Amino acid sequence: MTAATASVPGDRPRRGGYALSGVALRGVVCATPGAPVDNAVIAKTLGDQAVADVVKMIGVEARHWAAPDQTSADLCCVAAQRLLERLDWAPDSVDALIFVTQTPDHPLPASACLLHGRLGLATDCQAFDVNLGCSGYVYGLWLAATLIQSGCHRVLLLAGETSSRLVDPTDRGTAVLFGDAGSASAIEHDPNAPTMHFRMGTDGTGAGALIVPQGGFRAVDPDRAFTIDPSRLHMDGGEVFSFTLREVPKLVAATLADAGLEGEAVDAYLLHQANRFMLRHIGKKIGATDDQRLPINIERYGNTSSATIPLLLADDMAQRLTAGSARLMLVGFGVGLSWGAVLADFGPLACAEVISA
Amino acid sequence: MQTLYAGLAEIFEIDTSEVGPDTVLADHNWDSLAIVSTIALVDEICSELLDGAALGECVTVSDIVALIPQARAA
Repeated sequence: MTAATASVPGDRPRRGGYALSGVALRGVVCATPGAPVDNAVIAKTLGDQAVADVVKMIGVEARHWAAPDQTSADLCCVAAQRLLERLDWAPDSVDALIFVTQTPDHPLPASACLLHGRLGLATDCQAFDVNLGCSGYVYGLWLAATLIQSGCHRVLLLAGETSSRLVDPTDRGTAVLFGDAGSASAIEHDPNAPTMHFRMGTDGTGAGALIVPQGGFRAVDPDRAFTIDPSRLHMDGGEVFSFTLREVPKLVAATLADAGLEGEAVDAYLLHQANRFMLRHIGKKIGATDDQRLPINIERYGNTSSATIPLLLADDMAQRLTAGSARLMLVGFGVGLSWGAVLADFGPLACAEVISA
Repeated sequence: MQTLYAGLAEIFEIDTSEVGPDTVLADHNWDSLAIVSTIALVDEICSELLDGAALGECVTVSDIVALIPQARAA
């Protein structure tokens, strides 16, 4: 592992960039719950005009919502079972399970432990949860890659969310935007795998821009006036948008610099599907404007938090990645505020598919 | 300035000729979507990232202009 550093005049050396080798992504399966829910269903609560105004910007035409008895772990479990079967990985060959979610089954134990049991993994397999959202898939890949470099042979990365449980159905900013999905990715040691360039960052001073104020162990500020239920997701769209425009182009440029590449050398940028308008705007800034280099699927799935990037891999990129390899930059950004990017040649994958759960 | 007015007109869904320094934002649905669109607009025109909260406090178009350093200098 080598840390990529670049001097900034009068500042400490820039950190946060890392190059890892010997790690390969073998396959990705995503699971979406039930039938797609179209905007007409939400318009019954919010009204046609309110929904139309939001949709014009965010671009979501349909999304999937989990059934009342269906959790993120359920969606990821279905995806993981299919993935293990497709790759012909015996459950006891998995050395580690990472579950990225903000909608776990219980406050404790970690849902990763429950998934470990359901998937029949071996008792010498480690399992843990990671509480991250929009940046979570890149962090998950980073953790999986570091585990592989530390001696693990096979790692299962599960990332999923049921944000439909967190949004206030009367808040048009979030009710239309979010969708539910689970994903499973298989990561394996491979001495011949190309180098992966990771770069991660955090701005905790912006934590309030995306928050569920109530439900943890800190009492809610009694002086704060909430316009929606404090146990529901609060999103300051303007703040999130400015943060994204400030950090993501820098992140993309720094990751390219780490790898010594120009932007044209990247076959496709898989950006967290936050909002169509924002994606197109960032696309212009980073020089990726067509759907081959900037695939967008938010119209079909909504913003599924940590599952958006695996959905791009398993849906839009499935043919390109099962037939051959592609140089991709995966970029996650949002709740935290937290961000991360990984640039590498991915594929060929043994499987990339979206199934129904 | 005309580019900014034209962009704002598109966001407000009105004619460019109707946008001027005294245009009252509240008359044109100045909500979070309009703010986000304005952040993108100003970023595109002059590579300046405006603060969402500051935009939320703007009353007229001239208040928006006052937030843009290049516009202030011009």
